Amino acid sequence: MTVAEIEQYLAPIRHEYPDPRSLIIPALKYAQGDAGWLPPEAMAAVAEATGFSQAYVESVATFYDRLYVDEVGRYCINVCVTLSCMLRGSDELFEHIADYLGLDGEGTTDDGMFTLARVQCIGACDRAPCLQVDSGVQLGPLEPADATCLIDDLRAEPAPARYDR
Amino acid sequence: MADAGNTPAAGGDAAGAGGAPADVVSLTVNGRTIEAPKGTMLVDAAKAAGIEIPIFCYEPRLGAPIGACRMCLVEVEGMRGLQTACSTPVAPDMVVNTESEVAKDAQDGVLELLLANHPLDCPVCDKGGECPLQDRTFRFGPGETRTVEPKMHFPKPLDLSPLVALDRERCIACYRCVRFSQEVAEDGQLTFQERGDHTEIATFSGDPYEGRFTGNTIDLCPVGALTSNPYRFVSRPWDIKNTPSVCAGCSMGCNVEVTERDNEVKRLTARPEPNMAVEEGWICDRGRWGYPALRSADRIDAPLLVDAVGRRKVLLDRAVNEAGGLLGGRDLRVGILLGEPVTVETGFLATELAERAGNGAGMVRRMGIPGHGLGPLRDLPGAQMHHLDAADVIVVVGGDPCAQQPVAELRLRKAHRRGARVVLAGPRPTALDPACQVLRTTPGHLQDAAPAIAEVLEGSARAIVLWDEADLAAEPDAAATIAAVVAGTPGARAIELAADVSGPGLRALGIDAPGDLLAAIEAGEVDVLVTVQADPTTGPDGDRWSQAIAGVPRVIEMATYRSGLTDRADLVLPLLTALEDEGVLVSMTGRAQRLRPAARECPDAAAAWEIIIALTHRLGRPVPDRTPAQAFARLAAVHAPFAGLSYGALGTTGAVVAASSHGGPAPRREAPGDGLLVVPCTPVFGDATAHRSDALASVLEPTRVGLAPAEADRLGVRTEARVRIATPHGEAVLPLEVDSRLHEGAAYLFTGDPQAGAMRLLPLDRGPVRAVVGVVQREEVSA
Repeated sequence: MTVAEIEQYLAPIRHEYPDPRSLIIPALKYAQGDAGWLPPEAMAAVAEATGFSQAYVESVATFYDRLYVDEVGRYCINVCVTLSCMLRGSDELFEHIADYLGLDGEGTTDDGMFTLARVQCIGACDRAPCLQVDSGVQLGPLEPADATCLIDDLRAEPAPARYDR
Repeated sequence: MADAGNTPAAGGDAAGAGGAPADVVSLTVNGRTIEAPKGTMLVDAAKAAGIEIPIFCYEPRLGAPIGACRMCLVEVEGMRGLQTACSTPVAPDMVVNTESEVAKDAQDGVLELLLANHPLDCPVCDKGGECPLQDRTFRFGPGETRTVEPKMHFPKPLDLSPLVALDRERCIACYRCVRFSQEVAEDGQLTFQERGDHTEIATFSGDPYEGRFTGNTIDLCPVGALTSNPYRFVSRPWDIKNTPSVCAGCSMGCNVEVTERDNEVKRLTARPEPNMAVEEGWICDRGRWGYPALRSADRIDAPLLVDAVGRRKVLLDRAVNEAGGLLGGRDLRVGILLGEPVTVETGFLATELAERAGNGAGMVRRMGIPGHGLGPLRDLPGAQMHHLDAADVIVVVGGDPCAQQPVAELRLRKAHRRGARVVLAGPRPTALDPACQVLRTTPGHLQDAAPAIAEVLEGSARAIVLWDEADLAAEPDAAATIAAVVAGTPGARAIELAADVSGPGLRALGIDAPGDLLAAIEAGEVDVLVTVQADPTTGPDGDRWSQAIAGVPRVIEMATYRSGLTDRADLVLPLLTALEDEGVLVSMTGRAQRLRPAARECPDAAAAWEIIIALTHRLGRPVPDRTPAQAFARLAAVHAPFAGLSYGALGTTGAVVAASSHGGPAPRREAPGDGLLVVPCTPVFGDATAHRSDALASVLEPTRVGLAPAEADRLGVRTEARVRIATPHGEAVLPLEVDSRLHEGAAYLFTGDPQAGAMRLLPLDRGPVRAVVGVVQREEVSA
């Protein structure tokens, strides 16, 4: 991701952000689309394109959970563990997915395909227990077996051209 | 002279505003009626009335209050909820309670939460005993915690840089360090990362926190989160003694506090009560971590005597006796050369010694720049650093204050943030370039900037011009023109960026640069040369000095560190460093300030003033002084600039001495010969102290030659690691740095390390000089 590419992306939307600090988030989201996460070079490019210091850009990136400053897998599976989902079995769902992926709790699979995380409410309590893959629609209610199918389907998909987290 | 600016709370312009009754607000705090100037924050108004409202994040020097820590919550009648006293301005008839049940509950609650993840490791924390968090917890805290959950733990400490350590679990996220980095030093390096209770101080991608002012974050930290690596686990507050003194690292004259334990200097910090007229409580890393230099391996730890037996160490008494013997002969012609740092008392006593030694007509000179041609600039109305806070236009002419007087950079940045127009004129790139207006001149042509400077100053009401002593001494035409421009601008004042620590003080005593002393030595007219902290052989025109001194019958060296003279000297007397010495230094703004001895690490060394007083006794014509205070009182009586001053009058923040110009007519200056014009530069971390301090090893800058890329190509040295640089005064082989910000047609000579001998290449009168830069021959490389 080059500075020029980020600047090109920002050009038509700059006027929507009267406080230039607000521009950092769309810029980071766009930059994250490239590799699926934000390596230091990507944050440095955002810093240059937005005119803020690298440290400031990183401080914004680390504030938000969906901006990843550490490398993640091709798909981020975010399992909701807030009240409604927990009452409806999110713990079992999470453990099943972790087992199926061969993970000990949260983390990234060795093949780099999946990153599994517990997240707070994703706003689909009527479909508890639910999960979200990247920024896709919330999926639920899920039985453990449904999750197995989902993972198998994702594994068969070709790698996305750009990531939307 | 009184200092209107010396009130920390008074932000710049407000300092001079004065208090007309209409601007005073009356309010009630804890049942007492108090008054405060309009616009004062509640916390300051209460403090002035003797009521302490606890704070952590509030620090007016960091800009507007941010109310981050919530420690200062107070109850204000008629306002919903509790208010942060740090960000609530006083209002007429406001009724405030800082001790009500509700306010006390809030203080308890905030402290309990601030301590929820705090490790309470005070017994092993460097801050323990001098920690605002500890003090306020005892005074305002609940005394116990209800937290039973496990606390957060981190690998500790995390090195933010080789100099600054971070213990993350101790941090209370007050933002002081981050605000310093973002808003004072403007380096943008420190930020908070993550969120909520995971918030932690960090740099981009874990890079080291680099800069010239990083240590100030340690002084600012109200807890033990940021500590000094060189001071880590070195001492506890009850084992130390803190002495207020002055940094002798440059001519800025920053007020500092020196920490002593077991008769060793362990630490140097800004003073808790900053001198707003000088450093405003910020000091540079070179000053802060230069103190290990006094334990440097090249320190002279005992007097050395050369006689029939050979060269050997002797006791100090014996050495002073020998010196008296060397100076006693009634027809001896004596020369005394003063270097830096030398206090005004030592300078004054040296002139007294010259009258008593030998034929009584000895010459006393200082290593430094002759004042010829600088008279018009020195006669301009002077200013102090806090006047920059109220200036509308600031012009820096020549030099690079960011490197030479680093703390000046922070004052310039502050003025720029406030909206003052800051203009930098000169041939060097500086750290302020990206922020300010730059008038880049061709080396040797400061004169060219004069019309633009005149334009910038036009219409200004409170302009301040900072001019560089070395650059303008080399260009008297520019000095005259610019002095005329400033003199013609109503309200404009000037600050000299003095090249030497001791220069302004010794000049005030009428002590001149050493040109005629060198000529006298060369003519065989000096029988005994006494040097005080001066090594002319590594200074300007050093090779000529070396040759001349070889012919002097007797040389007495008084110095702290071994130098190029030490092996030549017949007698070497070890001196104290400025941190161990007592006396007065005059800063570049003419502020006379007291050095106070913090420790005496080297038992066989003595202060120069002590030795000189002893020598006058040995010579049979003793001076009446036994202390520097007495010497100062006597010099104040005879030297007009110091008239009426005494140690008492200097107080804790010093006093401004009247400037004295006595510069002769300007000589014509031209750099003869071919080659590149030399632009002398001073790297921040490149001076002798930085080279001697092991604490600064990680940031040390080499003595080097800087060339523009095209110039390096033309000379065929683009890929060379080292180049040979030669002037009519000498030559040296130095590392090469190619930098596109540098001018073609010039060789930027980054001096500093006396060992590297780069200063030798400059002329004694610091006039312009040309250098030939070229490839180093193979045999030199292998050598």
